[in-house]
Amino acid sequence: MNSFYVINLTIYAAVDAMACLGLSQQFGVAGVTNFGYIIFQSAGAYAAAILSLPPDTANGGFQSYIGGWQLPFPLPWIGAAVAGGVVALPFTFLVGRRLRGDFAAVGLLVTAVLLNLLATNYRPALNGDAGLALVPAPLKGATGQFTTQPASYQWAFTAVAIALCAAVFVLLRRVTESPYGRSLRAMRDNDAVAESLGKNLLSLRTAMLVIGGAIAGLSGGVLVSYISTWSPAAWGYAETVVLFAAVIIGGSGNHVGALLGAILVPVGFEEVTRYIPTSNNLPPNLIPSLEWVAIGLLIVVFLWLWPRGILPERKRVIPLSGPVPGGEPATAPTALARAGSPRGRESGIILEARGLSCEFGGVRAVAEVSFAVRRGTLTGLIGPNGAGKSTLLAMLAGTLQATAGRVIYQGRDITGVAAFCRARMGLVRTFQLASEFRRLTVMENLLSAVPDNRGDSLQGALRGRRYWRADEQRARARAEAILDRFGMSGYASQYAGDLSGGQRRLVEIMRALMAGPAMLLLDEPMAGVHPNLARQIGNELVALCQEGMTVLMVEHELAIMDEFCDPVVVMADGSVLAEGTMRELRGRSEVLEAYLVG
Amino acid sequence: MSDEAASSPAGAAPQSRPDLRADGVTAGYGGEPVIRGITLAAGAGQVVSLIGPNGSGKSTLLRSLVGQVRVMHGIVRLGATDLTNRPPEEIARSGIGYVPQVDDVFGPLTVRENLEMGGYLLPKAQIPAQVERVLTVFPRLSGMLARPASKLSGGERKMLAMARVMMLAPRVFLLDEPTANLAPAIATALLEEHVRGLAEHGAAVVVVEQRARAVLAISDRTYVLSGGEVRMSGPPADLLASPAFVDAFLGGYRSAPAAGEP
Amino acid sequence: MTIFLASLGFGLVTASVLAIAAVGFTLQFAVTDVLNLAYGAVMIAGAFLAYVVNQAGLSVWIGLLAAMAACSLGSVLLNAGIYAPFQRRGASPITMVIVSLGMTLIIEFGVQALAGGVSVSYTMAQGPTLRAGGLVLTVVQLVVIGAGLALMGGVHWLLHRTRLGKAMRATAANASLARTCGIRTRHVITITWALTGAMCGLAGTVFGIDSGSFNATSTDLFLVLILAAVFLGGPGHPYGAMLGAAVIGVATEVSAAYIPADYKYVIAFIVLLAMLGVRPSGLLGARA
Repeated sequence: MNSFYVINLTIYAAVDAMACLGLSQQFGVAGVTNFGYIIFQSAGAYAAAILSLPPDTANGGFQSYIGGWQLPFPLPWIGAAVAGGVVALPFTFLVGRRLRGDFAAVGLLVTAVLLNLLATNYRPALNGDAGLALVPAPLKGATGQFTTQPASYQWAFTAVAIALCAAVFVLLRRVTESPYGRSLRAMRDNDAVAESLGKNLLSLRTAMLVIGGAIAGLSGGVLVSYISTWSPAAWGYAETVVLFAAVIIGGSGNHVGALLGAILVPVGFEEVTRYIPTSNNLPPNLIPSLEWVAIGLLIVVFLWLWPRGILPERKRVIPLSGPVPGGEPATAPTALARAGSPRGRESGIILEARGLSCEFGGVRAVAEVSFAVRRGTLTGLIGPNGAGKSTLLAMLAGTLQATAGRVIYQGRDITGVAAFCRARMGLVRTFQLASEFRRLTVMENLLSAVPDNRGDSLQGALRGRRYWRADEQRARARAEAILDRFGMSGYASQYAGDLSGGQRRLVEIMRALMAGPAMLLLDEPMAGVHPNLARQIGNELVALCQEGMTVLMVEHELAIMDEFCDPVVVMADGSVLAEGTMRELRGRSEVLEAYLVG
Repeated sequence: MSDEAASSPAGAAPQSRPDLRADGVTAGYGGEPVIRGITLAAGAGQVVSLIGPNGSGKSTLLRSLVGQVRVMHGIVRLGATDLTNRPPEEIARSGIGYVPQVDDVFGPLTVRENLEMGGYLLPKAQIPAQVERVLTVFPRLSGMLARPASKLSGGERKMLAMARVMMLAPRVFLLDEPTANLAPAIATALLEEHVRGLAEHGAAVVVVEQRARAVLAISDRTYVLSGGEVRMSGPPADLLASPAFVDAFLGGYRSAPAAGEP
Repeated sequence: MTIFLASLGFGLVTASVLAIAAVGFTLQFAVTDVLNLAYGAVMIAGAFLAYVVNQAGLSVWIGLLAAMAACSLGSVLLNAGIYAPFQRRGASPITMVIVSLGMTLIIEFGVQALAGGVSVSYTMAQGPTLRAGGLVLTVVQLVVIGAGLALMGGVHWLLHRTRLGKAMRATAANASLARTCGIRTRHVITITWALTGAMCGLAGTVFGIDSGSFNATSTDLFLVLILAAVFLGGPGHPYGAMLGAAVIGVATEVSAAYIPADYKYVIAFIVLLAMLGVRPSGLLGARA
């Protein structure tokens, strides 16, 4: 085993590891499934090549390509990262759409093949099928390729490659373990809900695409400086599949898993085939073919046996710091920072619907609904099935676009405002169907809703733990207080997806409260919840309303309306039928009729 | 219609041997049961209705009777045959016809083809005659045999869904909100003529409905479900007269425990 | 004009091969909800089996029958042994894509391992060349077009005139409703894979005949054409696949007369991406 073998293995390991880390960040952490990932690595490789090569007339002019500016190290590598990031930008449009996962994957895969086809055939750009050769090694001028350098240089290059890989690992670790990383994972688990809690999905996905692209591009740059050639054959769709396989087998969502996958699949596999005995009797490409067969088998077997990978995403257990000194639950002060109003009931309309309608496919789910919600009230919204309650709630929250009418919140017309902006303004909703972030713990679910954490932005995350530690501590203290208030402290470190239905509902309500809303829109919060717990939730909501928060709650259980809500609005057939206290409404025959007629 | 329902004295045993029976059925999707301990019976010639607020488990109950939702405890029987957790194809073969609430027809297939699928289990030679027979019950469908089902109006689709199920002349009909999205006049007609008509021809009919008043008018017996359990049951006249009914029906979760026979 | 007509002729042949392949692919999707990306690999495996039979001295048309039988069996095993178990476990669509790509590697490179990397051709007579109104086609090419048309007719007859075919359409439209009618959907699905697998074998052999020479990776790009045809017409719609095949097949070949031949597939790519971006349910599919 000579030193060149070790160098070769190590450099490939570092390059593959970098690529896998970038993909793991995009796919495993942020849930961005980008089957065109190999394009970014290739863009980086081509960029580094054309930036470091001399003009194409050199070396006898046997290649033709754009660029050829012979830039000194480290510019080609920087260019590679930039190229990867820039090429990734348009993918935001392909990836964010509401397209079925498999259709989107096919589209991206096909894009990769298409670009490969164009690169292969359009010779003037990147020398077509033959690709680029004689790419100089860093710091070696126009004529020095890696293989011609002395051992000391080669070892130095290897060390730099490892260092870059380590730097990428540290950087991504920093991003993933921050509140920003938590928001990414929340987006992955349930993007609609993440949006309703104030996360800007477009900005998150774009950031992940660009970062992943830049990392892939850098890996391409390093690789091309080492092997001094790059052609379309190096980035077929089989290569993309291998990268995805490496991340999935190693463990998606876990950066150490990505490293493991990189070492196992692209690198380890190649090495194992080295030891398969060869003989002249075997056809020449039997071994490479069998290698691909084996990779295919590995993929299918691993997906079956370990759908989450060998090192699946770790559970983040956040140690509880014990009861808050001073004893008082901490929810009230911070939560109401944006309620902005004095205590107790007071007149003052916080939310108003004016002529709201929602029509699709000729069916009017909501027809010209107008009503107002007073600040500090726990208002109920009831009605038989199909009355339009959930649709109305969705329009108020911004998750559904109204076809007519206006929504006025705190005096502002917010009809055109996006859902995540409304959440940031203090108007927060919960959902009727299961909407917890399943692969986040209960504590993480709660923390993800906190709006003002310095660590919840890319810059904040990159600046490291010290920068956002204080905000995080404050958020944890609030979360612990809420958990305590609802008796869920024992579940703080469990995955939200593992809890019972009623407990998940609770998590959702607690999470909504963590967002510090001025007004809460609750969609059947008591569904499937034990009556005692439902009563406890009701009491908490009443207490919060007395402290200045406002709640609009859709519910079926009329007994709940009786006990907690005043006023209550009745809807039927898409319109408001009546309004008043539950006692008054029970006495009104048209309300009973609405239910009986259905 | 309501005279017939009121004539059965309160608390008396059903007038015919129960054909379909669910005993203590607890069922759900995956971990947690959605319905618990449901016992109901429907005999030949009877219309049995299930009413209650949204989310009370009415649809889940029907689906567990046809093998689409796993029954965790309890037994489902048709006559003497145990049908608990059998595959839906087998339940169809035993003589239970099911019309789901949504996706109740084969959209891309024509009306005639839908009926043919309804009669899939029949010997090929009998199908045309059976189609004719079913069309006499729903004459409006005769004029649109070649039209794809997706192009029918709401009322016509419901008719087609029921006609499809009638092709096999099942002993038991399970109907999940047959009048959903229909105009009130059409809904009442559907319930009074067609749903009641099925029972008059000897089948047992279990119908889930939101339109409580309309379905109470044609039922021999009604079960009120709430929170996954039966809260009250009995002949419609008795229920309407009971003070606990309004609460139970409108979802008084914490109101009096289940009155009437389970 | 002659170039146009000549390329139109090629287009009709390509469209026929494409139609046979695309209809099989789309029916598999209709009934199982899986994009079987290993379809191209199964095609080429069939083509190679026909080659082996051909090399043993038999006519390539016998080889074609062998390919159909083998691919039929293989496809049934592929669904029953791989796709269905993953689906029963609740695998996401992305996981299914990766599984099917893994199967593609296994099958395609398995073929390459056995057959070597060289390109092969069938030993067969092309037959005389016929000319009609400017179109220039050999007898074999006409047979291919004829096979395509016959298959389209056969599929139409199956789906609309037989009880089984209607049960297939019912299962594709609403599997749970089909079960409540007493239809044994598992059998229907198995039969669908058997039939479409046979179509896949037919498509592969005909592809091999039309291409002249082929190797184990020849269907990689062809799969994109299949996807383009399928998505143009609408995934799951057999008539859509036929329409898509006609359009894509003719468009790619005719465009090759006017732009450098290497780029002729680009049209298919652009159509596919446009459909995915604008109307994923296809021209004949319901508006999403």
